Amino acid sequence: MDDKPHAHDLFVFLASTAHDMKNSISVVSGTLERLLADAAPGAPLHDSAAYPQMAQMLYQTRRLNDNLMQLLALYKEVGTPAYPLDIALADVAQLGAQVAASNRILLEAREIAFDIDAAPGLCWHLDEDLVIGVVNHAINNATRYTRDRIRLSMMAVDGMLEICVEDNGDGFPPALLAAGAVAGRARAVDFGANSAGLGLFFATEVAKMHTHRGAAGTVRLENGGPLNGGRFILRLP
Amino acid sequence: MITREQAVASTLKDVSWADKNYLIVDDFVGVRQLLRESLRNLGARNIDQASSGGEAMNLLGRIRYDVVLCDYNLGEGKNGQQVLEEARQRNLLNPSSVWMMVSAEKSTESVMGAAEHQPDAYLIKPITEGVLLTRLNRVWHKKQLFRPIDQAYGEKDYLRAARLCDEEIARGLENERANVHRIDLLRMKARLMEKSGQPVKAREAYDEVLAEREYQWARAGLAKIRMANGELEQARQLFQGVIAENRYYIDAYDQLALAYQQMGQLDEACSVLERAARLSPNSVPRQRHFGQVCLKLGNVGMAEKAFRKCIAIGEYSYVKTADAYLGLARVCGMKNDPKEALLLLGHVQREFPTDDVRLRAKITEGMVYHETGDYRRARKAGDELEEMLTVSPQRPDTATCLEMATLLFAVGVKDAPVELLCYVIRNNHDSLLLQDEVQQIFDKARMSEEGALYIRASKKEAADMMNQGVLLWKTGKLDEAIAWMRNARAALPNNLRILFNAAQILITAMQQNGYQIMLADEAIEVLLHVDRLQPGQQRFAQLMEQLALLAPDGSLSPPAEPAGANE
Repeated sequence: MDDKPHAHDLFVFLASTAHDMKNSISVVSGTLERLLADAAPGAPLHDSAAYPQMAQMLYQTRRLNDNLMQLLALYKEVGTPAYPLDIALADVAQLGAQVAASNRILLEAREIAFDIDAAPGLCWHLDEDLVIGVVNHAINNATRYTRDRIRLSMMAVDGMLEICVEDNGDGFPPALLAAGAVAGRARAVDFGANSAGLGLFFATEVAKMHTHRGAAGTVRLENGGPLNGGRFILRLP
Repeated sequence: MITREQAVASTLKDVSWADKNYLIVDDFVGVRQLLRESLRNLGARNIDQASSGGEAMNLLGRIRYDVVLCDYNLGEGKNGQQVLEEARQRNLLNPSSVWMMVSAEKSTESVMGAAEHQPDAYLIKPITEGVLLTRLNRVWHKKQLFRPIDQAYGEKDYLRAARLCDEEIARGLENERANVHRIDLLRMKARLMEKSGQPVKAREAYDEVLAEREYQWARAGLAKIRMANGELEQARQLFQGVIAENRYYIDAYDQLALAYQQMGQLDEACSVLERAARLSPNSVPRQRHFGQVCLKLGNVGMAEKAFRKCIAIGEYSYVKTADAYLGLARVCGMKNDPKEALLLLGHVQREFPTDDVRLRAKITEGMVYHETGDYRRARKAGDELEEMLTVSPQRPDTATCLEMATLLFAVGVKDAPVELLCYVIRNNHDSLLLQDEVQQIFDKARMSEEGALYIRASKKEAADMMNQGVLLWKTGKLDEAIAWMRNARAALPNNLRILFNAAQILITAMQQNGYQIMLADEAIEVLLHVDRLQPGQQRFAQLMEQLALLAPDGSLSPPAEPAGANE
């Protein structure tokens, strides 16, 4: 798209607007995190009325951020060679630590237990920023549907890296499971039908960008598993 | 569940983030406050802030920061990358300093390939305190691991650095736990082998990476080796393959253009550079390259655009170049506007007040007059050049010498160009390619036969001088050999073979009679000069290694210039 001068100008404009919006979101979510830490149970300024409401605000801010990030990436044509894919070798446990670090305050505020199960020493070739973005979004979604527990597991299964975000809620509704089943197929996601469409579409695009020796990544939604709730599964070659 | 205090405490155990000096650079006050709060929660006390690139440069000039958090997009003026480049080039950062580039979204700069100065990490907003701490720790540990390698690299002991890479890779394999830095270590090793003039070993390292995963930088690395080996068509195909895989991998465009140039296909080179300049316009070297190719093609309009862009970027960048002004002056000459050309030439000499630029501006002036048919003023410029050459014994680089000789002949000066061409031959007495080029310049000046004699005599002069030094060395007269080579170097300051032999003799003397700091420094000076003239020589790497082994602590100091794993 940026081969045409006009499209390039538009893109520069979009990028600088996004830059501004990101700054605002940074300040809002950073401030909320700090307020939450101060108002947490046991803290001197504990505020039992405001605490859950602030947690809800943080959740919504993160959704806003994820959606903005995904829209931007789609403008850059995710999944085509135009998107700046940046593959590098990453330590899977470190990746998990970073996901935990960016979600800790929100999970604490919502009293959700978070477990990480990462194969020690496992390294994988992936675009860390993209994968963390997808996993964070899945976790943010799960905070809304889980009862009180979310589990992130990352291990090698049949030569693929399997990253699984699961919760102990009621599981995905059938419509979403169906969307998850077709997410792998071209652009079949119906954006109008459900709000989860964009996130799922983005996750699928990210998965597909990861290719190795003819194999490409996939995304799957299912119910069940050890926590008997919803499971979001990202598999990368 | 882990609380914030516990999380901070457990990581603080390995790295003490509290005592470090921090600099936050962001044009948005809200983000600066946020980051400052986060750093304070990590225990940091010394936190400075800057709201623009200029302000950041002022602070960086006064204080050595351990950690810099710098936004990429800083509004008017320098951007984050330009701040980083200037800070590294002016040596304002310690090798251990951590530079984190912050941006609103995934930046293309992170995958461009050859950006000479890469930050230690890219962080995407919003940045939470937890993420900041995890990334700081990760970068810190990686820097620790690479520190000995970076040090050897900085001392230009490339072979030792490569050995350290091998050791680190082997250690990773022993531990059974896969080493997350293995790919980076192999990349570093490949680059070290290229710098040591050992392309076969560099290729092995790239192949090892590619056996595991398709990385564009490794593919491009293989292509560069092919190109250096003269396999231009294969190199071209490889570079095009890399671009097809990832059109943001800009380094491949620059290299592809070079391949086309060497194949004599200037039109193709030009269109590749045009695409690259559109994808990534803010690079001084790329716009310069683009402008120069356009100039060769006679495409005045595009050359003008490229050189003007080059000058505009240079306004905020530390990497500016006199070439853009000189090129633009040539463009003005071609457009029959000598007045504008002269203004530019005056400007470039104020901007870059060196003898070299003064000389090159004068050459350009002569060319502009010659081109616009003002033969009287062209001749006057030629006479002034001749005068400058008699005043100073210093001579510019080979390309400038040849350009100057061509011009001087064209405007009717005789002695000075002959002297220049003899100088070029004496300093490159074993390069057949250059001899052909010089002969052609003589041919054009209708001096074919005389020229051939000059070339032969200059070659002999250089060869005799070298052989005498080698003879003294081989017959064990080391002191005399050293003295002889010092004179030879003064007479022929850019002759690679003489320089290498001079260093070799100094090293032999120390191997026989023990380490002497004066001789060691002299040898280093000679070798660094060689590396500037022609990087990537195997003999350079070998002599640097021998020198380091002689030094009492096994390493050369002080480091010649800053360099690092992330350069």
